[in-house]
Amino acid sequence: MTTLATDLYLLVAAYGLAIAVSYAGLPVLGQGAFVAVGAFGTTQLASHSVPLGIAVIAAIATAAVTGYLVGFAAARLAGAQLALATWALAWLAYTALVVFPRLSGGAQGLTRATPAHLVSPSLGLDITLQPWVHVVIAAVVDVGLAAMLWRSAATAWGLDLAALRSGPALADSLGVPVQRRRRAVLAAAAALGAAGGAGTAVLLGVVAPADYSPLLSLQLFVAVLVGGTATWWGPAIGVALLAALPSTSDALASAIDVDPLRARAVLTAVLLVAAIATRGPVARLIRRFGLTSVNTDVLIDDGNLRRGSSTPGELLLQLRGVVSSYGAVRVLDGLDLDLRAGEVHALIGPNGSGKSTALRVAAGVVRADSGDVLIQSHAAPGRLGAADRVQAGVVRTLQRTASLGELATGTQVAVGVRVRERSPQVGLRELLRTPAARRIAAARSSVVADAVQLVGLAGRTSVPMTALDSAEQRLLQLARAVATGAPALLVDEPAAGMSAGQRRRLGDVLRALADSGRGVLLVEHDLRLVGRVADRVTVLAEGRVLATGSPDEVRRDESVRRAYLGDSSL
Amino acid sequence: MSGGVALQALVVGLSVGAIYGLVGLAFSLLWSLTRVLAFANGDIVIGSVLFAVLAVIGTTPVALSPDVLRSLGLVVLALLFGIALSLASYVVAVRPFLGRTHRAEDLMGWVAGGVTAGLVIRTALGVALPAAAYAVPDPLHFDGLTSTGVVSLPGGGTVGVRVFPVLLVAVAVVIAADRFLVLSRVGRGIRSVADDPDAATLCGVAIERTLLIAFAIAGLLAATAGLLYAPSGAVGVDQGVLLGLYGAAAALLGRLGSPRDALIGGVVLGVLQQLTQASQHLGAAWASLLPLAVLVVVLAVRPSGLLAPREAFAE
Repeated sequence: MTTLATDLYLLVAAYGLAIAVSYAGLPVLGQGAFVAVGAFGTTQLASHSVPLGIAVIAAIATAAVTGYLVGFAAARLAGAQLALATWALAWLAYTALVVFPRLSGGAQGLTRATPAHLVSPSLGLDITLQPWVHVVIAAVVDVGLAAMLWRSAATAWGLDLAALRSGPALADSLGVPVQRRRRAVLAAAAALGAAGGAGTAVLLGVVAPADYSPLLSLQLFVAVLVGGTATWWGPAIGVALLAALPSTSDALASAIDVDPLRARAVLTAVLLVAAIATRGPVARLIRRFGLTSVNTDVLIDDGNLRRGSSTPGELLLQLRGVVSSYGAVRVLDGLDLDLRAGEVHALIGPNGSGKSTALRVAAGVVRADSGDVLIQSHAAPGRLGAADRVQAGVVRTLQRTASLGELATGTQVAVGVRVRERSPQVGLRELLRTPAARRIAAARSSVVADAVQLVGLAGRTSVPMTALDSAEQRLLQLARAVATGAPALLVDEPAAGMSAGQRRRLGDVLRALADSGRGVLLVEHDLRLVGRVADRVTVLAEGRVLATGSPDEVRRDESVRRAYLGDSSL
Repeated sequence: MSGGVALQALVVGLSVGAIYGLVGLAFSLLWSLTRVLAFANGDIVIGSVLFAVLAVIGTTPVALSPDVLRSLGLVVLALLFGIALSLASYVVAVRPFLGRTHRAEDLMGWVAGGVTAGLVIRTALGVALPAAAYAVPDPLHFDGLTSTGVVSLPGGGTVGVRVFPVLLVAVAVVIAADRFLVLSRVGRGIRSVADDPDAATLCGVAIERTLLIAFAIAGLLAATAGLLYAPSGAVGVDQGVLLGLYGAAAALLGRLGSPRDALIGGVVLGVLQQLTQASQHLGAAWASLLPLAVLVVVLAVRPSGLLAPREAFAE
């Protein structure tokens, strides 16, 4: 009974880690440190005559705050460095336990009487925490977590996690608050780790540093990798393998007469190597049998082609005297530019003239040294980062063919809708299937349908992105941007690498987007495409406007022709 | 802290720090080539020496000076084990997870692979060497430079005489590695792959061979660090991971990828650690936490190294 309860508590910590590792794509190698915070925190507080229930909650809260703080750093780290930082954290915590016996009780650890009593006179509560009570508590938490992950697949939370995992940069450009989500995920992972640790400590009545060595972090990490990406049952398999380890190694040790501890170490290493070696094949099997929640398709209603809400001619975006430099190079030198609803405004100019930088400043990815950016005639949010700008009404597609990896086309578009769903409890409501959540989900589906139809990808929503050709992938980028609802679309070189036929299709889509009341700011080298779809053309040179007007006017402009287009005609 | 104690801490710190720098150099080199953080690096440092000890002396190493033949055997075998372990870690834990451009692609894969490779080395060693720590003989006989093996410093402190040759050798190896990367044909190939694998391929650099050579060099650096480090005190199998993390901290104190910065970072770290240890208020407990805390803080503040320029924008 006690062993079962221990394993179930370990599974709680594994589920916490799975949210970070296999759902959000954050390589956390320090879950053991958070488990230790829960175990030692609870025992220390309880020994200082803090009531047991409060000690457990305080220890979990401490771990959650630590996780949140790690998240502040992690938000800016590339995955590799997060792995190193959390691995260092695992060793830091373990070393601290070893060198400060006052904290950890030394090699023997801290002890308290078992079974523990949960007493609350005010609630009339007096429970003796027998092992079977622990089994029930841990099992309830585990089942709850598994059910939550299972249900989250098609919900707002599932979309956010999928976006974090498969393409953080793209998710950011679509207005998903990537950094905030990462902090929340790490805080949740740490809290669940601490909960598992606290439970084990109360159950066993003894906590010793050796049980919380970095090996625990490593075991948990591999345990959540075993079951593949984003599977609700994966951690259970991993922990089951870990749980089988001691008895197997003891049997092995007695059979071939070696030290049981060494047999366990060897078997752990063998298990880890096997888990990593079989990672690829297991992932393929999971995909083949559809056991993963990754390829969820978003249900599509027959939505009507929604018209952009702006009135034609309304100013959607203005740049006023924008100056921006990279180091000593002044890329934008007092740029004035505006975008109105209902128009395709093309931005052309030689390489290095500042076209892409202009889009980045407008999208809030690069800060302007001076000058103003106005969105629908209001000052743009000052904070750097795309998320605020998308909410304000400006969205940018990335220059390269960015993707959300393994997600189905419809799901990728649904990520774009997330920015409109301001209510913070959407995810929770969807887990509970409240009526409000159903309305939100239905609205999401209809927006996805509209966006997909606008760019001409209707009927392609359930296929994985890899089944789309390169032109369709560009259209998907547009659909994702359209789904955010931002009326000002900044489109960076959409036609690069497209055939003539694909360019015609793209041109039609851009035209349709403008006609639906949106504004399209188009950076493009293909002057034939520009001439066909643009209402207005602005020529940039060295960070300033050289000429602006209709395609015909610009074509006739002598200075443009001479300096930048040679003798070829538009 | 008296002046004598401070001077002693400074001298020991310089020497230990130079070894951290060597470990950091290997870490740094592999990062610039593959964008993989070498998690098993520290285990290779300790593993190469302890495997050599096992082969030459057996399971009960003693600190007595080995004879000339055994000394030579220890040095050569340690270097060979360093190369072999480093190449094995490449084949098993790095190459399967590199993408089309020979840059790290499957993040979870190589992270798990690297940490597990380290664990495998520790476990294999632990089976043969179960005690917590061993006194490893010095095949280079640095202690024999003076009759007592110690040197008195002004102010009343004393240090083991080996700190001076250790510092010299470590600095010389870092400089040699740096010059090799800058001047030799192979070194130019390594730097070109670090800069841009695609362009290097177009210029006729054989990437696979270059990576193998680079991992072999990293293994040599790790084994050298191990040969300098292990005889200075009792060495446990588990010390490798910590040494690897100290090396990572050293590499990140400057600009990740620069050999000179790794050495300077290591020396700064070593001196800080020794000063912490010598101070009355802090002592050995805090000294063992310091490099890890430095690593976590540096990663939080500047993930590409403390002196690295801020990236203009991340995309």
